[in-house]
Amino acid sequence: MSRPVLRRALSLIFVLFSVTFLTFIVSYLAPGDPIRNMMGGRQDPVRYVFLRHLYGLDQPWYQQYLTYVSHLLTGNLGYSFKYPERPVWDLIATGVPVSLQLGSLALVISVLVGVPAGIFAAVWKNTWRDTTIMGFMLALYSIPSFVIIPIVWVIDLALYRAGLPSLPVAGWGTPQHVILPVLVLAAANAGFVARIMRNSMLEVMGQDFVRTARAKGAPEYLVLRHHVLRNALLPLLTVLGPATAFLITGAFVVENLFAIPGIGYLSIQAIGQRDYPVIQATTLLLATAVVVMNLITDFAYTLADPRVRFE
Amino acid sequence: MINIPKPLEQTKSIRPWWIYFFRNRAATVSVIAVLITLLSALIGPTLYQRLLPIDQRQVRDGIYQDFDAINGSPSVDHWLGTDYLGRDTLTRLFMALRVSLLVAFVVESLNIGLGCGLGLLAGYFGGWVDMLISRAADMLFAFPGLLLAILVSAVFGSTARELYGGIGRLLLVATALSLVSWPLMARLVRSETLSLKSRDFVMASRGLGATQFRIIFRHILPNVMWLIIVAATVDVASVIVNEATLSLLGLGIEEPAASLGLMIFRAAGKIESHPLQVFIPAVVITTLVIAFSFLGDGLRDALDPRSR
Amino acid sequence: MPHNKKWIWMISILTILSMLLAACSAGAPATPAAATGGILRWSLEGINELPALDPPLAGASQSVGVISLVFEGLVRLDGGLNIAPAGAESWDVKDGGKTFIFHIRKDLKFANGDPVTAEDFSYSLNRAFSPDFANGNAGYYLSNIVGSTDVTEGKATTVSGVKVIDPQTLEIDLQQPSVYFLYQLTFPASFAVSKKAIEANPTSWTDTAYGTGPFMVKEWKHNQSVTLLPNPNYWLGKPQIAEIDMPFIQDPATALKLYQTNELDIMGTYNFPTDQISSVSSSPEFKQVNQFFVTYIGFNNAKPPFNDVKVRQAFAKAVDKATLINKVLEGAVVQADTIIPPGMPGFNDAAAKIQELNVAEAKSLLADAGYPDGKDFPKVSFTINNQDPNYAKIAAALQQMWKENLGVDIQVSTEELAKFNDDLTATANNPTDNAALTFYISVWGADYPDPQNFVSQQLRTDIGNNNGHYSNAEFDALVDKADVEPDQTKRLPLYQQAEQIALTEVGWLPLYYGKANLLIRSTVNGLVVTPQGLFPSVDWTKVTVGK
Repeated sequence: MSRPVLRRALSLIFVLFSVTFLTFIVSYLAPGDPIRNMMGGRQDPVRYVFLRHLYGLDQPWYQQYLTYVSHLLTGNLGYSFKYPERPVWDLIATGVPVSLQLGSLALVISVLVGVPAGIFAAVWKNTWRDTTIMGFMLALYSIPSFVIIPIVWVIDLALYRAGLPSLPVAGWGTPQHVILPVLVLAAANAGFVARIMRNSMLEVMGQDFVRTARAKGAPEYLVLRHHVLRNALLPLLTVLGPATAFLITGAFVVENLFAIPGIGYLSIQAIGQRDYPVIQATTLLLATAVVVMNLITDFAYTLADPRVRFE
Repeated sequence: MINIPKPLEQTKSIRPWWIYFFRNRAATVSVIAVLITLLSALIGPTLYQRLLPIDQRQVRDGIYQDFDAINGSPSVDHWLGTDYLGRDTLTRLFMALRVSLLVAFVVESLNIGLGCGLGLLAGYFGGWVDMLISRAADMLFAFPGLLLAILVSAVFGSTARELYGGIGRLLLVATALSLVSWPLMARLVRSETLSLKSRDFVMASRGLGATQFRIIFRHILPNVMWLIIVAATVDVASVIVNEATLSLLGLGIEEPAASLGLMIFRAAGKIESHPLQVFIPAVVITTLVIAFSFLGDGLRDALDPRSR
Repeated sequence: MPHNKKWIWMISILTILSMLLAACSAGAPATPAAATGGILRWSLEGINELPALDPPLAGASQSVGVISLVFEGLVRLDGGLNIAPAGAESWDVKDGGKTFIFHIRKDLKFANGDPVTAEDFSYSLNRAFSPDFANGNAGYYLSNIVGSTDVTEGKATTVSGVKVIDPQTLEIDLQQPSVYFLYQLTFPASFAVSKKAIEANPTSWTDTAYGTGPFMVKEWKHNQSVTLLPNPNYWLGKPQIAEIDMPFIQDPATALKLYQTNELDIMGTYNFPTDQISSVSSSPEFKQVNQFFVTYIGFNNAKPPFNDVKVRQAFAKAVDKATLINKVLEGAVVQADTIIPPGMPGFNDAAAKIQELNVAEAKSLLADAGYPDGKDFPKVSFTINNQDPNYAKIAAALQQMWKENLGVDIQVSTEELAKFNDDLTATANNPTDNAALTFYISVWGADYPDPQNFVSQQLRTDIGNNNGHYSNAEFDALVDKADVEPDQTKRLPLYQQAEQIALTEVGWLPLYYGKANLLIRSTVNGLVVTPQGLFPSVDWTKVTVGK
């Protein structure tokens, strides 16, 4: 491994450790006693002490953190506060594939929609076609998903009442369940991708080698295909990292409103229930996803564009 | 009399940025939309209440619950109807706009203060200062989008409210949201500062013995100003959505204060029977977001020295 | 133009898409073959994961609901909420109500076919009291059993009061004679669990849990759903339903939408989006059932201003409950004026007038207490938790009522449930503590249908649940007498007298009784809805789902 790559890997580990520390401290400083909450309306001092010890909450904070990290390194994420004696890993393990499916499908669809939209808008720069496409894409990007979702619901319910084919409004499990949430999640990201694509197309189209190609008399579609597209697709790689973060954030709303048992749903529920071990685990998981995607982005970019050095 | 021709330089001089800006039709419309929103948030409630005789104004104060007009349709008294507690929707909309804009203002102040300040420091001084600031930014970047804001406002929300009431909660939400914003600002300012630092005029100034303070404030800051303005404006759009999302998830603004997200959330269950209660805040928030996006784009085109 | 390459690109993307879609559906269960009884789709609202399926851990109502389908105890409740035989065919009470001898059903079997004897019930009870389940509910419901506390505290390994006489006979000894002990046995804590299943797989046996109830767990998809199959060895016969699918749906509004698009057969059992009742109330599939719980305002009786009975009375009489319930809450609940809910033995309609709205009287009471027109009334916080969206509506409406009727400005303080529970515990432990609440919305749901659970256990001086520290010597004397009175006809009037005292002095300010709002598709046959809402008395062998 070359030195820059090693340095990046080290900084990645550092970042993830800071994430664990930050989430730990936030959880530690949180008001409210998790054990008391866990015990509900029936409080018994003996059980209280017992449970407090079981969850290690009777130790000083630094010791709690050290225990947490050492457990983490052995792959032990601790036990849930909300569901007594259920390992956190069990809880989040089922959510990971769900979120992965939702996220990757949304990413694929948003690229499928966003890239052509951006290309055509750039080719038709400053015509009514450009304005229409980009206007639509901007609307997709700007309308918050919590506005789109109720509208989708009303339409779907109306379709069902009219006896027309409709899709499930919530839940997860069959391919039909996947369609609505994926489309909603993909919508905003498609707008984002189209914007990047258009900008990068325009940038490349203004460069000397494209002008040269045109001057040589090459047909426009060949210029676009051979010179512009190839180069304009590059910056799209840089979007991969932010797009992942974007999809994860979008998933908080989409998973919650569509009741999809993914990581976003689990995080919000855990935050609502103050289930700190679960919060810490999901946060770390999502942060890892973002950091790794960013790393892959940088790496891919270096491979694709020899002008860029991996730093 | 001899007509002295104007010197050539003057006609060739760079036109002020707003000429470029107002050439952009979308940006112009957006400025008007934002100004109207701002104005209606500021004077709307008072004006709207004053239209009624003094003893009836209470029904439009946005807090008073008219138990006989719960989920009311638009009427003479309530132009946009009433909500699930019989409160005037238009007044609550004004209140929500105030909250949105106030949160946006606080977040951007923090964003500019923290992001720009730290970005300048990191970019100009480099070394361990840069290292420290960049790693902190990296760490915050690792939290995808809203996650940290959600966590912070969920965990400390009730404490903030207990200590400082509704305004405490609002400030906490703003602080939490600025945690999401400032790392990007810092990163942008840092890299711009890095490139400015090695430019001739900064070198020259340093050569002439200018203090570091003077270099930063006289030479670098004015040249990153456009970047800060553009980044902050673009960020406003996402802050408005983020605030609404937090409130929607029950972690942001709380009743009896109003928030666009909260209005949508509370009315969503009745979207079939009372669509207006969802539709109005939804249209307002979408308009605001689009307006701020266009505004940001317009400002970038007008201010970015490279785009001219 | 070379089109072909573009198509290859498109096709490869489509392949990826379909692969991903296939991956999505791979986890879904294959459509089962059509069975006679049909599949029942029944949502569990308000949770994103079933809190527990192990009987001693039953706490949340969703857990109790599912556990009651899979497991069963010695006795159960019938449609009239009377005790009926279940695992035990019959029983004898001896020693003046201190000893219970249960005769176990002869051919009782677990769902897997293993025979069930007194030994299994003894194992289940001992397990429920073990320190491993210190967080469970056995101690709360059944600590009256001799020697149970010793086991929980680790001083003994077996409960001395639970004795296996022979495989068909189980004896349980109590410390105190108790009229409601059999009711307490209908709660999951004592339900029969299989030692074999638990020891084979101690950590995840509940993923395919079985007991002696009408159903058994086919699959527990964590964070998603639990699927039940009929128990072929159920003592009443195998239920006809082919399968029960129970998805976990946090937001009841989502469950309603799923019901409306025919994705569910029953919804609303655990939570209903009350603001949407008006849109479904005309449907014949919509059912409303009273439930045994009371939502009330509690006062801190040890701290000014609510240590003054006149102030409490003024606040109670200034509340326009009819407007609150019918307009603000849109009639989704039933106005409550008593402590013992209707349908519970001892319910007394006559007590309803005690706290009636009377603004003039409320004003004069407040003036008598030293605050004419609310003048100089101290700043008080009305605390609610943020779990129930109704609470915020109620608090806002009450704030305005007290302002208009009494001239008192109160402050509403919304807390996270965790914080609220903390503060309520602080109030219970030390009412003059800084964290102690001043007045608050709380709710009590019946553990078993006996007024003792609502009167003595809530408002007697220094009893654990009396968070507001209401205290009245006459009240205490009445309930102490009632709690040990074996004759029901003498017992109930004593509770009613005590209730009248507590209502007059506003120990509680009851707001509304629980009401279960349910949607049950007309294709579901054989379900009887009872006041407890959870169909405890349903004969599951007769329930079918048509098409």
